[in-house]
Amino acid sequence: MAFFRWGHPWSPLGDLEREVDRFLRGMNLSIHGIRPGRQFPAINIYELEHEFLLTAEIPGTDPEELELTVDAGLLSLKGDRNDVKEVPDDKFRRQERFRGNWQRTVSLPDRILEEELHAEFNNGVLLIHLPKAQQPEPRKIRIVDQQQSPSDTDESAQQTPEPPKPKPRNIEVHKEEG
Amino acid sequence: MSNSLPEPENEPQSELAAELAQERFVFTPPIDIYESEEGMVLHADLPGVSSDTLELQVQDNKLTLFGRVKTPVPEEAQLLHKEYEVGSFLRSFILSDQVDYDNISASMNHGVLKVVLPKAQRGEARRIPIATN
Repeated sequence: MAFFRWGHPWSPLGDLEREVDRFLRGMNLSIHGIRPGRQFPAINIYELEHEFLLTAEIPGTDPEELELTVDAGLLSLKGDRNDVKEVPDDKFRRQERFRGNWQRTVSLPDRILEEELHAEFNNGVLLIHLPKAQQPEPRKIRIVDQQQSPSDTDESAQQTPEPPKPKPRNIEVHKEEG
Repeated sequence: MSNSLPEPENEPQSELAAELAQERFVFTPPIDIYESEEGMVLHADLPGVSSDTLELQVQDNKLTLFGRVKTPVPEEAQLLHKEYEVGSFLRSFILSDQVDYDNISASMNHGVLKVVLPKAQRGEARRIPIATN
């Protein structure tokens, strides 16, 4: 039962869970266990009226060492996590946390102002703001009456030029003191 | 509120239990535990938890960590893609009697909790004087 017994392997998790269960019995509380094999970092995407928000759980990462790039509708997050590098393997009693290099690439929704992406990092949670581009006004297409002399040009024939492709760029991560 | 916590004998209902009654669900954070010079070291991933929103409690031989997490996005945000649920973290451990309870230390860094559980020093053998009359 002893959990930190020197020189002995740890007791199975079952003991712990029972302990917690006893503690929580009678509460309307469900316990979600650790989900192994989950991608690191886990990402959620939300939509608001004027922007999308991307959140990612990246605990134990220094924002200076977090690499964010955006290019042609793809957002890449890259990093390395190894805060227990100096610990020899035989010293571990339990190891559940993700270690090593990681990378995630996300396709951004359409109509994002890539130039205006900005990010915050707070207690191991990354929050990226993805402002939406303004929807162009619906254009009225004029119908030219053939019986009158067609003096006006047809607006609908005018092509909007393709915007130039932006270069990939790094996004600066602002750390919030908190 | 129908969560009357059964109170084990000689264990007062903790504030923690009252706090937990507010939560709908909690998550088990992943941990690493390793042995070091100073004793046992525990790391727990608690993204979204700061030192202000962390409760770390030692009661008898039980160490409980509870990290309260608030969602980082406005309430009206529509979820489009979900890989994780936002919620508070809870995990409990039974400590052995070889931990020096008075000197447990903890720190938070970018959503990772580090707890150092020093090894209790074995007391020096003490000579007990025997009085003769």
